Amino acid sequence: MADAELKPFNYDDIEIGEELGSYEYVLTQEMLDTFRASVEDPDASFPTLAVKHDATAFNMVYDDQTGGVNAGNEVEFFNPPIPGKRIKVTGRIHDKYLRRDKPYMVIEATAEDEDGRLLEKLRTYQMKKPDEVGKKWHPQS
Amino acid sequence: MASSILDNATIPTLTKSITQDSIDQFESCGILDRQNIHNDPELAAQRLGTTYAIASGRMSITFAAEALRKFFGPEVFNHTGSVNLKFLRPVKGGDTITVSGSVIQQDAVEQGTQVTVQVQCHNQNGDTTAVGQGVAIVA
Repeated sequence: MADAELKPFNYDDIEIGEELGSYEYVLTQEMLDTFRASVEDPDASFPTLAVKHDATAFNMVYDDQTGGVNAGNEVEFFNPPIPGKRIKVTGRIHDKYLRRDKPYMVIEATAEDEDGRLLEKLRTYQMKKPDEVGKKWHPQS
Repeated sequence: MASSILDNATIPTLTKSITQDSIDQFESCGILDRQNIHNDPELAAQRLGTTYAIASGRMSITFAAEALRKFFGPEVFNHTGSVNLKFLRPVKGGDTITVSGSVIQQDAVEQGTQVTVQVQCHNQNGDTTAVGQGVAIVA
């Protein structure tokens, strides 16, 4: 993937509904095999989960030096992707909100293949203050 | 329309051993070649204050999807299924994650019966690492 000019990420500046654009890639048999090995499931059907469509869409637009912690995922499965087929992903900022004074951003992506088959819809709830989560996990430090 | 699935039926329980190698392998499927808190312990330390990299929550999503696929069958789950998990605790190399769940609701919908499963993931210490629901529509 060629690096496009990335925008500096600022939580206050992102807008709900903001389009993150589209990108395409070819799912290879090697990607599927590597994914299946990583999760010890020879029948795992959605290597797209490891490609992280929504986060990839976000990272193709923004230079995010803050990072984030994944607080949750919602994924809908429609059709397993087929190795060798080109996949088109479209992403957007679905939501942003504060909860317990912590900033959250919800990104989402929809994927379809070159034949127009809908594959997967994915949403990720990211908490954009990752050091706060680290403190919760390690309250002694 | 009633499904043949019993209320309170349990999904297959899965146990997965997490290693840093398996985490790295999962991350290597990405199309952007970049370091993150999953494959770079130093970045995880900088951003999270941890002494280790953490597994992507999407690995737990994948484990839950496997258990649900085995319960509903791939022809059902891979085309009508969904998973929704909240991540409560970090998962790291050396952990053992067990996925379990049971049917909590069945609703008639146009295409059949929408079956909802409560899903949870626990680590080797019995701590809950993720909770949520899986759903599929059984014709």
